[in-house]
Amino acid sequence: MKLEMNSSNIFINSRRGLAAMLLAGGALASWQASATPIFARQTGENCLACHAGGQFPELTPYGRLFKLTGFTLGKRTPVPLAVMAVFGSTTNGPALAPAASSPGHTASDGTPTIYTGSLFFGGKITDNIGMLGQYTWGNYNGANSDAIGGGSDNTDIRYANRIFRNGNDIIYGMSLNNNPGVEDVWNSSQTWGYGVVPGSAGSPAGYTILDGGLAAQAVGIDAYLYWNQTYYAAVGAYRTGNGVFSFLTQNNGGQTYLANTSPYLRLAYTHEWGPQNIEVGYTLFDADVYEGSDSLGNSYTNSGPYDEHRDNAIDVQYQYLLDPHTITAEFSRINEVINPSGANPNNYNASLGGQGVVNETKAKVSYTYEARYGAALGYYNFSSNEAYGNTYWQNSQAASAPDYFGPGTVTAFVPELFYIPLQNVRIGLQYTMYTQIPTQNAFNQNFTGSNSNGQAWHASDFNQTFLYVWAAY
Amino acid sequence: MKKMTLILSLALAATATGCSNVEHSRDVANPAVSGKVLAQQVCSMCHGVTGNSVNPTFPKLAGQQKDYLTDQLKFFRKHNRSDPAGSEYMWGISRHLTNDQIAQLADYYAAQTRIPDPSVNPSLEELGKQIFTHGVNDGARTVPACETCHGTDAHGRGSFPFIAGQHEDYILKQLNIFKETEERDEKLGQMMKNETHDLSSEEMKAAAAYIATMP
Repeated sequence: MKLEMNSSNIFINSRRGLAAMLLAGGALASWQASATPIFARQTGENCLACHAGGQFPELTPYGRLFKLTGFTLGKRTPVPLAVMAVFGSTTNGPALAPAASSPGHTASDGTPTIYTGSLFFGGKITDNIGMLGQYTWGNYNGANSDAIGGGSDNTDIRYANRIFRNGNDIIYGMSLNNNPGVEDVWNSSQTWGYGVVPGSAGSPAGYTILDGGLAAQAVGIDAYLYWNQTYYAAVGAYRTGNGVFSFLTQNNGGQTYLANTSPYLRLAYTHEWGPQNIEVGYTLFDADVYEGSDSLGNSYTNSGPYDEHRDNAIDVQYQYLLDPHTITAEFSRINEVINPSGANPNNYNASLGGQGVVNETKAKVSYTYEARYGAALGYYNFSSNEAYGNTYWQNSQAASAPDYFGPGTVTAFVPELFYIPLQNVRIGLQYTMYTQIPTQNAFNQNFTGSNSNGQAWHASDFNQTFLYVWAAY
Repeated sequence: MKKMTLILSLALAATATGCSNVEHSRDVANPAVSGKVLAQQVCSMCHGVTGNSVNPTFPKLAGQQKDYLTDQLKFFRKHNRSDPAGSEYMWGISRHLTNDQIAQLADYYAAQTRIPDPSVNPSLEELGKQIFTHGVNDGARTVPACETCHGTDAHGRGSFPFIAGQHEDYILKQLNIFKETEERDEKLGQMMKNETHDLSSEEMKAAAAYIATMP
């Protein structure tokens, strides 16, 4: 789920593309209903058993228990493989118009494009061990860039056990994974939550270290306990995903190095009554990340000064699950405080120094009817109130708009309509509507770029529409 | 760092040992796993550890008649019961169950105590009670009382299920399935089709509401 693009604006300007996608949808509809990925083959159940209203990757209480018990329910499949792909059409607004030099060969001018493909592997291994592995291939990394190839994606190897003793229901286990948040079953972070159609702008990469900052960069192990399906706690530690664990992080655009072992804590309270369930959670993650000079903010050094990123996050989730209605409402807020260990000559905002504070708020409400027709509304707001800030406004797809770092706020709404003709196929139309963008960079320079009238870009100039077919087999 | 690598490696090695753990297994295709273990480790994820499910999508199984449970699991296994929730959830789970495991599962749930739903709509439940105990006889329609087959306490008998305290939504959905479809098994399906044929939606809802509160 890591290969997302942060750009904006789409207009469906290609009738040919639309026709091709509808044809593709028709072709997919002829698949057998039994065409399902690993876990569905393992359990023999429909996708909606684990995914709320059939929309992946949001989980039902049963889906959470399936993950917490180590993906071990069911029968070990002889071929533990599945594939997933997203085929779509993106059209950007004027601020992110693709370069004229590459017509028909971009991911943002309405050209029908295969955005990403993933190979999943794993499932039940023993009675106590299971895994979900993902290797993702990305077609485009921007409007004009070449294919970016494949790389390790979310990987979660688990040992779990469940015991019943003196009236207590205890699930405990360990998760070895490559991103803090992969372990979580409430999809509280970027890894699994908030409009994660791969290839869309509806799930912009988080600007905090907990919200995708270490995706397929770190490796960690979490020990967890879920007591009476009410209280959940996970304690873990993460380190740089190199050496023997480099298979979990390869080919993801450079290695981010952690200076120290980074502690992770996740607590949650859950309650289920009738068709409803609620979760209230807290997450703490504290990582010392070596600073670097990469323009995308990645750190490729493993020495010198580093920044402590301390994330405190709260999240709430509510679900109503009773055929024909499924409602999921999610909210999360991450507060990140960044303390530099010393001067960093390579940092883009080294001259400013000081402590950085970043806040991220995300929310989403989704509804499906008969696990077939769906609508969702997402919201996100990122802000940095310090000059050191990491409000990272990535416009890598734009020919004229540069990446942006610095203080400011990004706010967007993401409405989406989707249709699930088969349990493993989803066709959707997603619109990312920006209402607020930063105006100055870290050096108090005005955000560059202007529209055809010579005026500074408006937030809406970055809007994006994304039409997609998301399928798994 | 080296220490953590070592710990992680040891943890992986430790977890790789012990491939089979039939006392805590969630393997639905291993005949060595007992029905009780399957009930606790697998079925409980939807139906609850004691067979008192929380979400009405999933029926309460606590106290259920052994014969009824055995029949239904075999129907699921043979795909003779194809109501949507049944096929989506149960076909896969039941596909490798042995007859012994099915019998053990039936024993496990029959020994549990059902917890009924609280009363929420007394006037509707009163109408439901009339239908449950007297059926409908208004000249144009003759619908037998539910208690005729399910017993005055609605605890069922043999292949007639224990319906007292069942989720209202589950009962109502099943009544509609009996009435509108051929998705349930032929024998019970035909009996219940006759029962529900002349019942209105409101009457079925009332009966379900009342039965859900029965102890």
